[in-house]
Amino acid sequence: MTATPARTSLTRVTKQKMPALLAEREANRGLLIAFEGADGSGKTTQRKLFTRWLESQGHRVVTTKWASSPLVKPLLKARKKVHALSPEELCLLQAADFRHRLDREILPALWSGAMVVADRYLFTSLARDAARGLDLDWMLHAYSPLFWPDLVLNFTVSLDTSTSRVASKRTPKFYDAGQDVTNLDDPISSYRAFESRVMREYENLSLIFRFVNVDGERPIYEQHKRIRLLFQEGRRAAWGEWNVEALTEWIEWTGAQEADHGE
Amino acid sequence: MASRAERRAQLVALDGTRHADLRGAARSLRERLASRKIRSGVSWWDASGVFFELGLGKRKHRAASPRTLLLLYAADLAFRLRWEIRPALAEGQTVIAAPYLDTAFAFGAACGLSREWLTSLFAFAPAPDAHFVTRERRRAGGGKVNGKAGFAEFSSAVVAESTPSFVPADAQRQMIAFLEATARRRGSRRLT
Repeated sequence: MTATPARTSLTRVTKQKMPALLAEREANRGLLIAFEGADGSGKTTQRKLFTRWLESQGHRVVTTKWASSPLVKPLLKARKKVHALSPEELCLLQAADFRHRLDREILPALWSGAMVVADRYLFTSLARDAARGLDLDWMLHAYSPLFWPDLVLNFTVSLDTSTSRVASKRTPKFYDAGQDVTNLDDPISSYRAFESRVMREYENLSLIFRFVNVDGERPIYEQHKRIRLLFQEGRRAAWGEWNVEALTEWIEWTGAQEADHGE
Repeated sequence: MASRAERRAQLVALDGTRHADLRGAARSLRERLASRKIRSGVSWWDASGVFFELGLGKRKHRAASPRTLLLLYAADLAFRLRWEIRPALAEGQTVIAAPYLDTAFAFGAACGLSREWLTSLFAFAPAPDAHFVTRERRRAGGGKVNGKAGFAEFSSAVVAESTPSFVPADAQRQMIAFLEATARRRGSRRLT
């Protein structure tokens, strides 16, 4: 059976208005730049440097971090603490967290013209949860409609570098070390075993989704200069078909007021 | 004739929009099964406590879209399958899942989400052996974000908090129509 949505009239109006709304917003919208890569690859350092630089260029910048929505973060934190999550539950809660941040932080900021810098994006879940054995196609559906970043920077380091950088700062947490799937008691050994799988998944994703790889073993300032250059040389493309679907849904359910203000 | 021990444990889906009706229907179903000497248990929604904790949160942080709420429902269902449904079935006990998939599909359809997305999202959940729907005794004007609400009531109330043009009573009508049409197609039985 095909049910008629409860908000038929608003849905129809919004869909009719969407092309005009997007065209008007296109020139003034913000850009979304995602920083991805293994733990210890230096992406947070680079994200901070890049954010400072963007601000110095007069941009308004909004930073969004992985698993940080006020709605889902407490739920995730409590369950992670007692190691109570299966791979499916972890993936679904992270997908809910991501959707909530997309609706409440990322899209409103982009719509209002701010630059959004994401310290990890949905590719983190795709890589880690695929390394946990979940089906990539199922995960992509759970995260759909996808919202594509304007630039995805993938920081690459060797497994030895990643492990030594992580181990020098902290003991990896249970799920970050993949202890739920490796069944290894030692967090560092588990981290190595799990992260090697995650890195393989990142390599696959990088080919499929055309990430821009940044060598995380190069000097910090050299990496930063490359990122600036990539950003400056990047061509501003129109919102893709996937993004239009996500934007339409956001405007229907969450951002109608923000969109109206933009008219 | 198969002995009790030989009878295969069954997963029975019981769906509806109101938690109060689901409770009554589940009780009635258990009594019927007991009269046939079939051991059964009920797996209620929010066994994982995700929605309970959500209800405790600040209202401004609670605002969530239908898609976010369905992802949380899927996480809760994965928890129920892992800790309640599959272990009970493995022990030979019949399980009444109240609610199961149709309630989530009805809420999604009422909010305009595609059937394809819902089907893919819940692909991890096994198909039930039997379906029942509640006879909707009362059409509520809208649920509340509290422990007495079911998924459909709770989620409608949460969406209405952040989307003023969303009318829970309209959504409930759509959900009932969806559940009734699905029940007719499958030949599911209604329970009071």
